[in-house]
Order: sequence, then C-alpha cells, then structure tokens
Amino acid sequence: MTEQYAPLRTLLSEAGYAFVEPPVVHPASVFVELAGEDLRRQLFLTTAADGSELALRPDYTIPVCLQHLAAGPAKRRASYAYLGPVFRLGIGDSGEAVQAGVESLGRTDRVAADADVLKLAFAAAALLGVKRPSVTVGDSSLFATLLDELDLNAPWQRRLERAFGDTAKLKAFIARSNGKAKPAHHSDLEGATATLVKAAVEERFAATGLGQAGGRTSSEIAERFIEKAAIAEGVKPRVAAALTSFLAIRGTPADALAELRALAKREKIDFGKALDRFEKRNDAFAAHGIDLDRLTFAADFGRRLDYYTGFVFEFRRTKTAKEAIVGGGRYDKMTAHIGAGKEAVPAVGFAIWLDRIGAAS
Amino acid sequence: MSAPLVIAVPSKGRLQADAQALFARAGLEIESANGSRSYRGRVSNLANVEVAFLSAPEIAREIGMGTVYAGITGRDQVEETVPDFAARTELTLPLGFGRCDVVVAVPEPWIDVDTMEDLDDVAADFRPRHGRRLTVATKYISITRRFFAGHGIADYRIVESLGATEGAPATGAADLIVDITTTGATLRANGLKVLADGVILSSEAHLVASRALAWDTAQKAAYAAITAKLKAALARR
Repeated sequence: MTEQYAPLRTLLSEAGYAFVEPPVVHPASVFVELAGEDLRRQLFLTTAADGSELALRPDYTIPVCLQHLAAGPAKRRASYAYLGPVFRLGIGDSGEAVQAGVESLGRTDRVAADADVLKLAFAAAALLGVKRPSVTVGDSSLFATLLDELDLNAPWQRRLERAFGDTAKLKAFIARSNGKAKPAHHSDLEGATATLVKAAVEERFAATGLGQAGGRTSSEIAERFIEKAAIAEGVKPRVAAALTSFLAIRGTPADALAELRALAKREKIDFGKALDRFEKRNDAFAAHGIDLDRLTFAADFGRRLDYYTGFVFEFRRTKTAKEAIVGGGRYDKMTAHIGAGKEAVPAVGFAIWLDRIGAAS
Repeated sequence: MSAPLVIAVPSKGRLQADAQALFARAGLEIESANGSRSYRGRVSNLANVEVAFLSAPEIAREIGMGTVYAGITGRDQVEETVPDFAARTELTLPLGFGRCDVVVAVPEPWIDVDTMEDLDDVAADFRPRHGRRLTVATKYISITRRFFAGHGIADYRIVESLGATEGAPATGAADLIVDITTTGATLRANGLKVLADGVILSSEAHLVASRALAWDTAQKAAYAAITAKLKAALARR
C-alpha cells in the first residue's frame, strides 16, 4: 500500500523525523475522553473479551503521543513521523484512509518549531504534486487574549472561548448581546446567597434520594445557579461589535497584522504576547523561505478541540476546494489530557490525507 | 403471481395486543400459521400478504434493510435503528397507540439546568472539574447523538443502558439520561426532570413502509388496501 510513498518517507526521515508504527487498536475511552461523543460516532468500535470497548485509531496523533509518554519522560524532545491507515466511519468508500504526518514534541522554541513544521508541510505537498496549495492559518491564542481583554462576565467568556472554531455558533452567541433574560424557574431562590442556594440544593438531593458521589456537587450547582444572572445579561453591544470585527479579519499575514493593530487601537485592546508571537511567527515563516502571500490568515479559523492551543493550518488544493488535504497545528495541551502525569508538552504537527491528494491528481 | 407482501407486526407485549386489536377492528384478522408459537402468519381475506412476527426494534431494522416491505413499529425505533431513516423508510400512518416521548432528563436538584444550553455549559465545565466526561445513560444512542450534536454539545459520553435507564443517576452509572416517558411519573419518582427543550421526539406506533426495496404493482395494491382499512378503522373511533 505504501511503496508509492517512498519519496515522502525519505523527505520526512531526512527532515529528522523517526518513523513509528503505533498500535491500530486502542481502548475507545482514550479517544472518546479526549474528543467527546462526536468523535465516537466516527469510531470503528469492537468489544474485548472482558467487555471493554476497543476502537481502531481514527488518527495517528493520539497513538503517537501515547507511545511517546509510555517510552520516557514526557518533556523530552522527539520527532516522529508516520504513514499508514486510519479508520473513521464515513470517510472514503470503506472507512479507511491513508495518512502521513509528523509530530514534533518537546520543543520550547515554539515559533521556530511552527515554522519548521509548516515548511515541511509545504515540501510534502509539493512532492505529492500540489505545488501551489491554498493555505489557511489561524491562531486561537489571539481570540483567547481578546476575550480576556474585553468586558465579559465569566460564563460568557467561557462560552465564547469554547465555541471558537464553530463560527455559526459563535455568531449566534454574539447576536444575543443584551440577552433577553429567561424567566427564572426558582424565583424563591432569586438573589439568594451561595450558602442558601447550596442548602436548598442539598435539601433536594436528600428529598430525591439521589447521591452526589462522583457527579455534580451541591456547591457546583449553587455556583452556576448564581452565575445564571450573568448569563442572562448576555454580551454588551460594544463587546459584540469588537468580537464581530475581530472574527471578520481575513487576509495575508501582513494585512491581518495591520487590521489587528487597528482593532487593538480602536478598542483599546492589548493583544500583548499573542500578537508578538503572531508577528515573530510570520517573520520566521519568511526566514524559512515560505511565501507569506500564499497564506490566508483567518481570525475565526480554529479547531474546536480544546487541546489545540494556538497556531493551526490547513492546505487545500484550491481556494474553493471542499476538503482539506493537510491539517496541522499546535496542541500543547494534549499530553496533559491523555498522560498520567498531566504534564503539558509543547507539540506541533500535521497530517496529510494521502487518498485525497491521490484521488484528485 | 408476484412475491407476497411481507408485513412485520410486533410479536409480544402491549404493542402486539394493540396492533392485533386495530387489525381486527379493520376487518383484518391476523392468523398464525401453526398456532400462537409461529413466527409467520397471514391476514384473513388478503391473499398475497404474509405476516412476520418480530420485536419492535427488529421490525424497524428489517424495514430499513428492506427484508420486509412494511411493518408496525414505533417512530422512536425507526429513528434509532435505521441509519438514514428519512430516505429508507416512510411513516405511512400513525396508529394512535404506543405513544411516548423520548426526552432528556437530569437530576431534579440541578436547579441551574433548565435547557439544553444550560446542559452545554455543564458538559463543557464537567471534565475540568471532575477529570471525566459527563455521562448520559440511554438505549437511544443514535437519537441522543443527533440531538446533542444539533445543540452543539460534544463534551459528554454515552453509557449504553439496556434497561431501567431512569435509575442510572441514582446508582451513579451516569449523570443524566435520555429515555422514553409517557406521563413523567417514573422520572419524577427517580428524582429526574425533563429539560424545557428536552423533548427529542413524540413517538407513537406507525404503519411504516420500506423504501429500501422494489415494490411491484400487486404489493403496492395490497399495501394500499391495508392502509385504507386501518385508516377507516381509526376514523370510526
């Protein structure tokens, strides 16, 4: 299956990435806990003899990271490459697709690592015949910083942060500026103190005979009950306007930088380190010989999964092509989610959908 | 002569009794081939119709796969069991029995959770707090996934339940449930409440046709005759 990709193997090896072949079958919980029930829909599941649920790997990133964590100290530097089948219900004819890619772990010089990985993705695409891809880049840390800077209450900040990457949902949230307060269902507790609400919740737990062990606690419920007043307030119109202008920013990195600076000045937002990093990363791209005019920065582009922490990119054959042929980015929080030690390790990588490239060429 | 129209009817429980009674009122006696233990039967007065006795989930599956032409089963079973049910099945006629709602129900003490949007907040917040995902016990796995995805909720996992789903929050098997209810009494007795926008679908038994196989003229005519008689019986009530 993979002989035809020998030149690609050589390219990735010579760039310093060691080929690994992690197991195909994993406990399903590894993937479901990390990516949620939405991913499980796509998993090929089977049952082990002891009744536990197993899944065929839907990608390489999680298995490669698990292997890395099992083999030594989490924070050591390592560069992995892979080439082989991944399995998802609904992809291709059979639910099986061939992916190649790299994962660079443990590099603390993040900007340089981002540039190295993007440059390698360009080289790999070119080798596979896509010489002039349309590349979208994004950076969720800019959005996260914007949310910190704007006058938002805590529950709305969390809602907006986690909706990033789902622009329709984000816009629907923003459109509810000056949110219409919903009628309270427990008016007797309106305006009550946390202690009082907590006591009321505990009473209800006792009355219904439901336990709290392992589930939501009465203090957690009381905390959010009080927060609901803030949720009903919604997003202030001025904040909504700033969010809307930010999300609309789209263009070459240079144009985007100018627009971000203008927005920062107009709305008195300090993008701080996130903007510095954005600028330095663009400089590093140029220094690596990447043509910046090939990149389109989209302020609203990101992946919903919460282990992606900043820079993300996607290659398409043309601007209007539906499917991405390469997807990549930085996922510094993943090892903390899947590892026993909960250690966050800097990580960046990409995956190429080889069938999509092959099918179209 | 063409192949018989095979129509699947429930083989046990309340659905069987209600289906038999409705057919009888419509002048269609369902006769087992060799007494009550048989899995095959006929409809009196209708040549070229064969009856298959199956469980309600099996009926939905067989209609979806096109191994029977039609059957009597709940809409909940069709939407749960048949992938791409809108293209593969046709709900020909609601039959007025087997009514139930498929609902999202959470512990009543969750006084901060009234809507699916509240549940979205809780689900997103749950793993950072508890180190695991929020769990939903249900036997309606496909229906739950579609409904939660429609509300943009991804931060949860399903625990498959094979019975007594309403007890899952009390035993700690799951945090909330998706299940059927008719009056809500069982849910209340188990300390659960239905979310304001948590009614996923209102189900009842239907006469359902398969679009997954080719019908010939004789089969279409037999099905139209059965449909007309059932419709008339329902109208007489």
